[in-house]
Amino acid sequence: MSAFAGSFAVSCERERPKGVATLRREEELNRFFAEIERRALRIAEISVRNRDDALDLVQDAMIKLVRRYADKDRAEWTPLFYRILQNSVRDFQRRQSVRNRVMVWFGRGDESDYDPIAAAPDPIGRAPEEELANSEAMSELERAVSELPRRQREAFVLRTFEGLDVKDTAAAMGVSTGSVKTHYSRAVHTLRENLRGHWQ
Amino acid sequence: MNDRQERKLDDEFAAKAKAAFDQTVDSLDGATLSRLNQSRHRALEHVNAGRAASFNRQWMPAAGVAGAAAVAVAVWTFNGPPTGTASPSVATDLEIILELDDFEMLENLEFYSWVELDEQLDRA
Repeated sequence: MSAFAGSFAVSCERERPKGVATLRREEELNRFFAEIERRALRIAEISVRNRDDALDLVQDAMIKLVRRYADKDRAEWTPLFYRILQNSVRDFQRRQSVRNRVMVWFGRGDESDYDPIAAAPDPIGRAPEEELANSEAMSELERAVSELPRRQREAFVLRTFEGLDVKDTAAAMGVSTGSVKTHYSRAVHTLRENLRGHWQ
Repeated sequence: MNDRQERKLDDEFAAKAKAAFDQTVDSLDGATLSRLNQSRHRALEHVNAGRAASFNRQWMPAAGVAGAAAVAVAVWTFNGPPTGTASPSVATDLEIILELDDFEMLENLEFYSWVELDEQLDRA
């Protein structure tokens, strides 16, 4: 009886063929993720300062989007995806903060393992001096962005790096369009003040 | 400096930042791209799973009761029929199973009953 009950439930999941609608949706999601995943990874990496953690966060966000919002309109996926990702980043940073406080208490310190030069992209046909200058400039920018207050950082990366308009940025952040403009404006002002050299 | 000039400088800064960021995106190494690819495919496995989970929720209560009865039969087979009142552990197990809304656990009842039987055999 239990074998029947168990195998009945399992066979419902395993053997049901995919309908045309499901296949179409799967294809759309595949295209969506393929288009967004690299930028999402870099955006997450700027916040959490670790590539492996950023990869895990992006994967979690993909899974959550599929499980909760696959049936939504395609136009809603980008702000929804980034809403999920930013929430995950925030939760991750809170856990890291608690962990670091505990580690400091135990005398293990809280030095970050993040090495921006090591995480810099592979050079592709660029002169070494140019590559080094670009890496350093980007490292400087990433450090400055990661130090922004959370809402300013979110507004800046979504508007600048992902290229979302104000409306979609507001949806992703769960705030008003006015708030987005304020946070973004303050972020740019702070970054311009704090960055020198290449960025002036 | 007036507002227009400030906005122009802000726009120039943002454009430079975007260009630098895009360069890092385009230069991601093969191992990272491979992991992203794997993540994408893992996520897509859930496209059907979500619909199957909602389908299963219609049948799980019936399957859960059937499974609970199976566990009871399996345990009683080795412990003997209940004398008077059901032993506390069996009654507790049945209550837990029947109250469950954890459908993943209900799906694994066959496994849990096998584990229970295995432990009983070891004790015997």
